[in-house]
This record gives sequence, structure tokens and C-alpha cells, in this order.
Amino acid sequence: STIAASAMLLQFVVGLASLFYLPFIFSIVLLVIFLSATGLTLGIRKRIAHLLIAIFEWGSDVSESEEQVSESVGETREETAEEQPAPIRKRHSSSDLRIIKREHSELIDSKLLGQDVLKKKSTVSVLVDDSLDFISAGIESIIEDNVTSRFSAEQLPSWNLLSRTKYTFMHISPKLTILWILGFYFRYLILVPIRVCLFCVGMASMVFITSAVGYVPNKAVKKWLNRRAMLTSMRIFSRSFSSIVNFHDRHNRATQGGICVANHTSPMDVMILSCDNCYAMVGQKQGGILGFIQKSLSKAEHHIWFERSEAKDRMAVSNRMREHVEDPTKLPIIIFPEGTCINNTSVMMFKKGSFEISETIYPVAMKYDSRLGDAFWNSSKQSYGEYMWMMMTSWAITADVWYLPPMTRMEGEDSIAFARRVKKAIAKAGGLVDLEWDGALKREKVSNKLIALQQKLYFERLSTRTSMCSEITDDSIDILKNMSEDDRNQLFKCLDEADDDNAVIRKVSEFIPEVAALVTEAVKAEE
Amino acid sequence: MGNSSSLMLRDEEIEQISGETEFNRNQIVRLYSRFLSLDKKGQGFLEREDLMNVPELAVNPLGDRIVDAFFTLAGKDDKHLNFRQFVQVLAYFQPIDKTKRNENNDRSKKLKFAFMMYDLNRNGYITREEFKVILNSMVGANITADQLDKIADRTIEEADADQDGKISFEEFCKAMEKTDIEDKMSIRFLN
Repeated sequence: STIAASAMLLQFVVGLASLFYLPFIFSIVLLVIFLSATGLTLGIRKRIAHLLIAIFEWGSDVSESEEQVSESVGETREETAEEQPAPIRKRHSSSDLRIIKREHSELIDSKLLGQDVLKKKSTVSVLVDDSLDFISAGIESIIEDNVTSRFSAEQLPSWNLLSRTKYTFMHISPKLTILWILGFYFRYLILVPIRVCLFCVGMASMVFITSAVGYVPNKAVKKWLNRRAMLTSMRIFSRSFSSIVNFHDRHNRATQGGICVANHTSPMDVMILSCDNCYAMVGQKQGGILGFIQKSLSKAEHHIWFERSEAKDRMAVSNRMREHVEDPTKLPIIIFPEGTCINNTSVMMFKKGSFEISETIYPVAMKYDSRLGDAFWNSSKQSYGEYMWMMMTSWAITADVWYLPPMTRMEGEDSIAFARRVKKAIAKAGGLVDLEWDGALKREKVSNKLIALQQKLYFERLSTRTSMCSEITDDSIDILKNMSEDDRNQLFKCLDEADDDNAVIRKVSEFIPEVAALVTEAVKAEE
Repeated sequence: MGNSSSLMLRDEEIEQISGETEFNRNQIVRLYSRFLSLDKKGQGFLEREDLMNVPELAVNPLGDRIVDAFFTLAGKDDKHLNFRQFVQVLAYFQPIDKTKRNENNDRSKKLKFAFMMYDLNRNGYITREEFKVILNSMVGANITADQLDKIADRTIEEADADQDGKISFEEFCKAMEKTDIEDKMSIRFLN
């Protein structure tokens, strides 16, 4: 019956389409071009987004209550009425949806940082104790770890009527199915054609207007025209993906050159940031269509495109970027120091390269709300084309952008510490988890350096906090015994001459009879 | 592309695993989702490499001992781990329910797992040499061979009741009597 219903719906829609379709689409496209050029907004996207979210939450209410009804077979009515808690309307956050309590991993972390309370002292008992914790921490990391989960899309608390985010263990009711079919037709038949048109228009305008602007002789006019052209095109693009972006703290925007640094989630990050401010782009010179686009962009403004060979030479890269950054007439550069797309629940290690170029950095934090469409690009699972198609067929892309006040390198701070500080600020502003793990772990294995670091930390724990030291000083007793009498006497004389050391020796003698014997021998010899 | 963990796990299988391991349905489904995300190549089973791809396990000094144990306990095919075997090994780490009869059995299973960490050649004894290997992986090149020997000697001495220079499973259990194994080797699920 659902098939029959959807067939009828399709016929109805096709009828409508032949009458109203094309004019409808063209008028929307024209409206969008007008709005983008002038920088105005009608707020339609936001209203539709609110409506959609309300529908999703209603939908998850429906499915939750049906689930509970089906589970309560066998229980009495009263029990189920009591057990139905009010659904918590949580905005998904990075720490939601954990499976286990990672007690042992946290314990190991505190041990390695020297922050735990040590109950035992002997090396052997600490070793055995710690090895059990290592085992449990290892098993915990197999069940749930902090790193691999950042490279796949985050989970949503309520279904957003896109089949790509559906869990089959969620109960699907007829009401939800109808909603999904309606949503499907709306997205594919109305939204997608509009979006594809807008995308083409945006691309064309960007390329042709910037090429045209390239011919303008006056520098100031050229700059102004480029700005208008880029902003307009980027706004058309962002409407072509139905992106709803909230910019915060716009007074902190970089206006006169400099480097902007942001966390990376998707290829659209640049597009979203460019809706509000003009940036100089950095990247490798491509061939084909992308190369053509790059060339047109470069006609109107200075962008940094590297040859493949140049890109490998870090010094050359740094120098060219430094030249650009120090020129106040040029646009600010935008850089993503993570080096790869992360799923926007956390910020991973920032590569220090970009922090060596300039003393001042303009950090930008971006947080996407994936309820209406997840912008994360999992480059190992999707090709670029597939990703674009996914974006076109989602409901919308919602993002918040925070411009943070510029940060300057402090006295004596090296690039790595500076990078860490900026990362912390960005993570805090965006409500993301701050991780020190390298984003390159998406594709590479853990480096031996990390493993060696862990070993060093563990060794420090044993040597400074357990009696491993005193076990080592057993050697010093042997050494004392094997010294010649003269040398020993000399040694004790030196110790005698120091004020407090007498007390030290006395105390030590109480514990270690051999030292007491040596001391009395030495004293006797002196007399 | 979203979390499209299309559940290829049938209800009967979930029932079966639930019966064997005492994980509830929700936990098994979450573990299955995790199994699928570890199985990057989509082969339906896990290999050693898949587990070692977890960075936090790779930096754990007992990381490869743990992976070894998984595959040994899995059974005949010690290169491939299917979901059932995966959950069976994880079941060793369930908290011990003191109201059920199997308390001693569960404690013994946990101790067996820990014993496997040290007994590298699985002959039922932990020798001085085997312990040195473990110690070496925990502290690396930071201590001298001498110190390594000393600590290994001291450890074996403390537990070696019958003075045969190596530690049997019984001696191991005896040495662990005072340790709260239930607490140290249990993982709590959030519900």
C-alpha cells in the first residue's frame, strides 16, 4: 500500500512539474542571485530548518513510544506508563553515546602523568598492579577509543529522515515511513534541481567575473570588485548547499593580511568562511577544470598555488607564505593545520608549520550541526563527487563560526607550544574535544616515537615513585664494600664535614646494618 | 556517509550470543557496530592488524600481548576473529555479579587471561625470560640489562613457591590473592 501511495504521489508531482516547475526554479535562482549580490537574507532557510528539526523530534518521539510499547509485551500497562521518561532534547555533543566507562584508561593516564595516589611502594607490586591496569585499558580501547571514532561521522540522537543515517535497529513506524517518502521527493525533486542550477550559476559567476576583473587596471577598484565578486559567488554556492551559517564575534575578523587558522571538517569549510570575508587560498596547482578555476581566481587576486615539486620543499613553502603574509595589501591566508578532515567532534594535533610563518595568528572555530546534514568528508570512504552529491541531497548544512581574537606567540614559546595553545582556544570556543593525537593516524600507523614516549613515561613512574631507586642503591652498598679503606675514610670524612649529613648517615645506618658497620669501622680507624 | 551500520546480525544470533555471554541486546548491538568499524576492509572478521590499528592499543605496552590473547582464545583459526569470538573474549571482562553462582569461575577466567599476558609460549609457566620481555616492553631502553635482571629476579622470587625458577598458574593465582582482580579487570558498560 505504501508503494501505491507513493506512485500516486509521483503522478501528482509530475503533473505539477509540467505546469509550474521550470518557471518556479528560475525565479528562485534569480532571487538567490539578487540576495547574494546584495548580502541580504530573507531568513527562509532558518525557518525551514526549525520546522524540519521540529518534525524530526516529533518523529523520534513516535518511534520511541512505539519501541517502548513493543518492548513492554508482558509488562503491565502501569509499569510502562511510569517508565516512560520525558525525552531529553539534547543537542548532540562530542561526549555523547559512549558505550563503556573508561576507568582503566583514565587511571593509566593519571599514572603516567604522575597524578595518581600510590598505595604500594615496592617496584614488583607496582609493576604487577600496573600491568593489570594496562590490560584492562587495552581492552577498553578495543571497545571504544578516542581516535578512530573521530574519523567517521558522528552519531545522531534522533533520526533526520535521511536513509544514510538510519540505524536498522531503530523501530520504523508507518508514520515515519510516509514522512521519509515525502522528504525524499521534496529533496530530490525540488531541492536538488534548484541546488544544481545555483551551483552552476555560482561557478560560472566566480570564474567569469574574476577573469573580467583581472583586466581592471586600477588596483583599488580591482580589489573592491574582486571582493564583491567573490562574496557574491560564495553566497550563491552556500545557498546551493542550503547552508545556514551563524557568524559570531565578527569584529575579530582578519582584514589586513595575516594567517587564519581553523579546524577542518569538510572541503566546504573554505566556502563557508568565504561568505563573510575574502581569503587568499593556498593549495597545490591542479590540472583540468580545477586548474582552470585556480587560474581565473588568480587573475583578480593573489592566491598561493604551489607546483607539486615546490610543495615538497618546506622551506620554499614557508618562504612564499611568509612573503604573502607580511604584505598588508594582500588578503589573509586560510590554513587548516590538522592536515585532514576530522569529524567535528574534536580538534586533533595542529602541525607546527603554519605557526612558524607569522607571530600573530587569527584563529577561527567552526562547529557544524549535523542534524540536518553531516558535512564531514570521510575521504577514505567517499570520493569527492559522491561527497558533493551527498551534500546536495541533504536537508541543509548548519554551521557556527566563531572568530577568535588574534593570538600572538609569547616570549620563548616554540611553535609546537604555540600551536597547542591556539588549538586549545579553538576547541574551547567550538565546544570540541581537544586531542593531542595526530590526524594523520587516519591513514598511518602509530609512530615508534609515541611508543618510546610511553615507555619513557612509565620508566619515570617506576624510578621516581617506587623503591626501584633504593634497589639501585643496593649497588652503592656493594661499591662501598669494595672500596679501599683509605677511599672509604675519605668519603666518610667528607660526609662528616657537612653539617646535616651526619644525621643522614645515622638515619641510613638505622635501616641498613651494613652501612652502620662501615661507619663504626671508619670511626674506629680514625681513633 | 553517516553511520550506516546496516545490521547484518540476525535476531537469533543476538539471542544466542546474549545467552552465552550475558551481554544484553543493546550492548551486543553496540559491540557489533564497533566490530564493523574496526573491520575497515569489510571482510566480516578481524585480523591482528585491525586491532593494532587502534592508536591507543598500539601505544599500550601490553598491546600486542592483548591482541595475541584474543586470537588464542578465539580458537582453531588464530588469524581471523569473527564477531562471536570477539564478544566471547570481551565477556571475560564483564563485572562479576556476586549474586550468581559462578563467582569463582569468573575470577578464575580473569586470572587466566592475565596469566596469558605473561606466558608468551603458552606452556603454562611464566619464566624469568618471559617476564623480562614484558618488562622490556613496558620500560623500553630506559633501564640497563642489569636492572632488568634484578627486577625480574625479585618478581619471580616473590611468587615462586616451589622454587623451580618459574611461575605456574597456581602460584600466579596465589600471588594475586590479595589483589582485587574483580575490580582491576572489569569493564563497566554505560546503560
